[in-house]
Amino acid sequence: MSRLAWWLIRAQFMTRRTATALSILAIALGVALGYAIHLINAAALADFAQAMKSVQGEPDAVLAPRDSAGQVPLALINQIARDESVAIVAPVIETRVRVDRAPTAVKLIGLDPFSAAAVMPDLLPRPSDAASGGSLFEDGAYASPALLAQLGLGVGAGVTLSRGEARWNTRIAGDIPAARPDDLLLVADIAWVQAHFGPPDAVSEGRLRLMPGVKAADWLAAQAGRLPAGLALRAAEDDSARVSNISRAYRVNLNVLALVALLTGAFLVFATQLTAVAQRSTQFALLGVLGLSPRRRLLQILVEGLAIGVPGAALGLALGYGLALAFTQAIGGDLGGGFFSGSTPAILPGLAPTLGFFVLGCAASLTGALYPAWLNRMQPLAQALKTGFAQQPHAGHDGRPRSRRAWATAMALMTLATFGLTQLPALFELPLAGYAAIALVLVLGIAAAPLVTQTVFGALVKLALPAPQRIALQNIVQAPLMAQVAASGLIVSFALTVSMVTMVSSFRVALDQWLDAVLPAPLYVRSKGMPLPDELFAALKQPTPFEKLERSATGALSLDPQRPAVALLVRELDRADPAARLPFTGSVSTVARDRIAVWISEPMQQLYRLNPGQTLRLPLLGREVEVVVGGVWRDYARQFGAVVIGQEDYLALGGRFEATELALWPRRGEEAAARAWLAQRATSLGLEMHESGEIRELSLSIFDKSFAVTYALEAAAMLIGLFGLAVTLSASVWLRARELATLSALGFDRRMLTRAVMTEGALIAAIGLGVGLACGIAVGAILTHVVNPQAFHWRMPLEIPWTQVLPAAALTLLAGIAASRFAARQATRLPAAQVLANAQ
Amino acid sequence: MQRRSFLLTPLLLAGLAPAAAAEAVRYPPARRGTRLAFPRDHGAHPAFRHEWWYVTGALDAPQRDMGFQLTFFRNRPGLAEGLSSPLAASQILFAHAAVTLPGARLLHAERAARANLGAGFSAVDCDVHIGAWQMRRHDTADSESFRLKMQDASFAFDLRLTPTQPMLLQGDGGWSQKSPRPDLASHYVSWPQLQVEGALVLDGKRQPARGRAWFDHEWSSTVLAADSVGWDWIGINLNDGGALMAFRIRDAAGASVHAHAALRDKDGRLQQFGADQVSFTPLRNWSSPRTGARYPVQMEIRVGPYAVRTSPMLDDQELVSRRPQPISYWEGLVSVTGALAGRGYLEMTGYASALNL
Repeated sequence: MSRLAWWLIRAQFMTRRTATALSILAIALGVALGYAIHLINAAALADFAQAMKSVQGEPDAVLAPRDSAGQVPLALINQIARDESVAIVAPVIETRVRVDRAPTAVKLIGLDPFSAAAVMPDLLPRPSDAASGGSLFEDGAYASPALLAQLGLGVGAGVTLSRGEARWNTRIAGDIPAARPDDLLLVADIAWVQAHFGPPDAVSEGRLRLMPGVKAADWLAAQAGRLPAGLALRAAEDDSARVSNISRAYRVNLNVLALVALLTGAFLVFATQLTAVAQRSTQFALLGVLGLSPRRRLLQILVEGLAIGVPGAALGLALGYGLALAFTQAIGGDLGGGFFSGSTPAILPGLAPTLGFFVLGCAASLTGALYPAWLNRMQPLAQALKTGFAQQPHAGHDGRPRSRRAWATAMALMTLATFGLTQLPALFELPLAGYAAIALVLVLGIAAAPLVTQTVFGALVKLALPAPQRIALQNIVQAPLMAQVAASGLIVSFALTVSMVTMVSSFRVALDQWLDAVLPAPLYVRSKGMPLPDELFAALKQPTPFEKLERSATGALSLDPQRPAVALLVRELDRADPAARLPFTGSVSTVARDRIAVWISEPMQQLYRLNPGQTLRLPLLGREVEVVVGGVWRDYARQFGAVVIGQEDYLALGGRFEATELALWPRRGEEAAARAWLAQRATSLGLEMHESGEIRELSLSIFDKSFAVTYALEAAAMLIGLFGLAVTLSASVWLRARELATLSALGFDRRMLTRAVMTEGALIAAIGLGVGLACGIAVGAILTHVVNPQAFHWRMPLEIPWTQVLPAAALTLLAGIAASRFAARQATRLPAAQVLANAQ
Repeated sequence: MQRRSFLLTPLLLAGLAPAAAAEAVRYPPARRGTRLAFPRDHGAHPAFRHEWWYVTGALDAPQRDMGFQLTFFRNRPGLAEGLSSPLAASQILFAHAAVTLPGARLLHAERAARANLGAGFSAVDCDVHIGAWQMRRHDTADSESFRLKMQDASFAFDLRLTPTQPMLLQGDGGWSQKSPRPDLASHYVSWPQLQVEGALVLDGKRQPARGRAWFDHEWSSTVLAADSVGWDWIGINLNDGGALMAFRIRDAAGASVHAHAALRDKDGRLQQFGADQVSFTPLRNWSSPRTGARYPVQMEIRVGPYAVRTSPMLDDQELVSRRPQPISYWEGLVSVTGALAGRGYLEMTGYASALNL
C-alpha cells in the first residue's frame, strides 16, 4: 500500500498545488487561532495566578471580611492562631496610599515579617542597612523595584504616604527583592501601617497555614458556624477557581470562534478532496480493476486528508505560537476581555494542549475527507472507467417531490430543535445550548441550500435567457451537490461574519445608550481606591462654578467564595426616584420606608437569581443586613454584579460614606471655568478628572479594541469561504469536462464558456450569501439573546447593521465572481477534443 | 534637591538610627536585693531585654532516656517602642522545642512571633504562648503544675509538670551574677525535679510519657561582657533527688571569665560555689558538620569537692536556629556519672559564633 499511497499523494499534491496549499493553510489558520488563543489565555491566567501568589502567598485558607469596608478583629486573629490545627496566621493590612504628590495611589501592604516569611515570602522586604538601621520593625516603607523606578526614588529617600487625612512621613528603607518586575507596591511592618492608616485593633485579613495532616475542608467546615456574620474563611483553592472563573466565559467564547475557523478549514479539505476524488475517478477505477480494494480506495482519501491535516496542524501550531508571542509582546496578555492587563506574560506551551490542538487539526482534516473517501469507495468501477465520476453512486434523493418533502420535514424539526435549544438555561454556567443552537442553524443553512437553489433557479430556468446563463442555471439545478458544497462554505463563513457584526453592533448601540444613562453629569473626578480628600470638599464649599454635585463610593461584597466579589456602589440618589440615575431594565418596585432598598445590576440578578421585591441578606459593615431589591438596572461595566444602595440607607446602617467619585454639573455658561477649576484641583490633589464625553470615547474605544480579535476571525472565515468557492467551482468544471467540451464543440467560444462558469459562480455565491445572511442574523440573535446573557449576564436589543452587512455581501459577491473566473480559466483550457475522445 | 537628599540621607540615618534607638530604650538592670514574689515573678518582665522560660527533661520507660526541651524566649529589641499600635514589634517571642532520640537523632522545631499577633505572655504568672504552643502554670487549691504543649509536623508533646520539691532561687535570692562585674547579672529561678506526665506524639503515634524535668526562668538586660563569647551551663536532676546547676562564662580563648554552681542535696540543703570552685574541662570534642563548630560534648565538671563526667545521649544535639538571627548552639541530654549521678541538660553556646546578650 505505502508506496502506491505515497505516489498518489505526491501526484495529488503536485497537480493540485494551490488547492492543497490552501487547504493546509486553512487548517493551519484554524489551529493557529485556537492555539494562540489558548496560549495567550493560559499565559495570562498563569501570570495572574502567579501575581496573586506573589502578593497573597500560598496560604491554605484566608480569613477575610465579606465587605471590603470591613476588617478582621485582632482578637479573632489571636484566637484562631491558638487553634491546634493552625500552624501560622499571617495577618496583613492592605490599603492604598498616595506617595508624595504622585498622581496615582499605590497599594501598601502592612505585614508581619515573622509570619510573612512562611506564607508570602515574595513580599518580604529587604532593609538597606544604611537607610533603616537594618530592622524591619522600625519606621520605614519598602518599595518594589518597579515602583522605585516609576517614582524616580532611591532607597533612603524620605517620602510622605497619605490616605485621606492620614499621613505618614517615613522613608524608603529598602526594597522588595522578590517583587515581580511590574508590581507597583509598598510593604511595611504591619504595626506602622496600622498606627498611621488603621484599622484600630483589626487587620484587613489573615492568611492561614494549617498544620501538616489537617484537612483544610474539614477544618473550614468546623469553623464556619463560629465566625461573626461579616467574616468568611475561604479555602485558598477557591481563589484560583475564582481567577479562572473570571475569564472563563470569555475564553470559551473565543475558543468556539476558533473552532468555527477550524470547521471552515475542514470544509475546505472536503471541497479539495471531493474535487480530487472526482478528478481522479478514472485513475482510481483503473487501480480498482487492477486490484485496489474499495477499502484501500477509502483509506487512500483518508490518508490524503491526513497528509493535509498533519502539515496543516503542525504549521498551525508554529503559527499560533508565533502569533501568541507577537501578541503578548505587542499588547500583553489581554485578548480584549479586560481581565488581565499590564504585564507581558511568558508563553509556555504545555505538551497536552499542544498535542490536543495538533490532533484537533488532523481530526478536522480527516472529517473533511470522510465523505469524499466514502464516495471514492462507492464508485462503480466500470462506469467510472468509462465516463468518469458518478456524483450519486446510490442514485437517491435528487430533488424528487417525496424526498423533498422529507427534507423539508427534517428541516422543520431542526428549526424546532434550534428554537428549543435557545430556550434552555446555561449549563455549567456556559451557554452550551446556545452554541449547539448556533451549530444547528449553520447545519440548517447548509441543508436548506439545495432546496432554495432548486426552488429559485427552477423558476428562473423557465425564463427566456441567453444560452450561457441558461446553461449555468441548469447546471446548478441539476447538479445540486457541487453547488451545495460551494455554497455551504460561503453560508458558514458569511453567517459567522454577519452574526458577529450583528452581535457587536447590537452591543455597541446598547453600550452607547447605556453610557448616556450612567454618565448624567458633564464632569467626573475620582481617586482610585482612596477616599476623595477633604481638601476638595472644603474647596467645593466655597463659591464654585458648579450648580450640583453628587458623591458616590465604591466597595466590594463577597457573597459567594467561588465567585468574584460583587461591586457595592453607595450613591446619593433619591429613593423615590432611583430611575433618575439608574437605567432600569424593567419596572421599579417601591420599597417600604422602614426597609433598606437596593438596586441590583442585571449580571447580579442572573448570577444570584434575584428579582425585584425579593429580600436578600448582604454582608454589610460586619454583619448580615436584610435588604429589599427595588429593581434591576442595566450594567455593562461589572460582569460579576453590582448592587447600589442609597447614601442615606448606608449611613443609617452605620456605614461611613467616604466618597471615591464625584459627579459635577457646571453652571450654565461657566463650563470652561468649571473645567479649569476642577483640572487645577485634580492635578494638585492627585485625582483623575474626566469629562463625560471622554469617558464615553474611552469606553467605546476599549469596546472596539476588545472585539478587534473577532474581526480577524471573520476575515479569515471569509477568505476560507472564498477559497472554497474557487476550489469547488473548478472541481465542478472538471466534473463537467465532457459537457463543456461538448459545448465548445457545439460552438461555444471562450467568452461564452467563461461567462457560463462565472454566472454559475455568481449565482452560487448569491445563494450562499443569501442563506448565509439569513443564518447570520439568526446566529446573531442567538449570540445577542442567549449566549451573551448566559456567558456575560448582560442583555441588549438586537440591532442589525445593514450598512455594514449589505456592502460586505456585495463585496463578497464580487470576490466570488472573481474567484469563479479562476475556475472559468480552467474550463477554457480544457482540451475539448481529448476530453471528448476519452469519453467514447 | 532630590539628588542631594538621596546622597545625604543614608549617611545621616546610619549615624542617627542606633543612637536614637539606644536613647529611646532604657533597660532596667537586674538588681541585687530585688525580692522576688510568686506567682508574679513566674510571669514576664517586659521591661527587661531578655527573658526565657526553659524546660528540659528526660523521659523514662517506654521512652528510655529520651530528652525533651521546650523554651520560650521573650525579647525586647528596643524597636517601635513609641509606636501607638497594639501590633508594634516591641516584644518578640521565640520558642524552640526539641526531642532527643538517644543514639538516633534530634528532632527540632521553632516558632517566632511578636506579642499580640498570634503570640502573647502574661506579666502576672507563667503563661506564654506562640499559636498553640504554650507553657502555662496552673494553680489549684491543692497543687500547682505547668502545662507544656507544642506540635510540629514530626513530633508533638503535651505534658504536665508537677513539682516534687520547692523551687530554687539561684545566686543571691534569685540574683545571679554572670561576671566579676556586678552589673552583668540576671534574675534566675530554677525548679528541679519536676514530675512529668503526659503524652508524646512521634511519627504520628501518640504514646504516654513520664519522666523528670527541670524548669528555669531567667530575665536580664545584659548578661555577657564584651569580651565574653558564650557559656557552658548544666542542670542535673540527680538520681537521689538532689539537683546540681553549674555554669561558666567563656572568653574567646575558651578560658572561664566567670563561673558559679549550686547544689541542693536530697534533703534540701543548699551549697553554693564561687568562680574559683567551679571548673569545666573538655574531655572529647564533636565537630558539627553543619556549622563547623567544635563542641566539648564530654566534659569533666568540678564543683567544690565533687567531680562529675558528662556523656551525651547523642553527639549531634546541635540546634541551628534561623530566628531571631542565625544562631547555633548545643543543647542536649547528657548522663552524668562520678561523685554525683543523674541526667541533665548541657547547654553550650558561643562555639559557632559569639553571642551578643
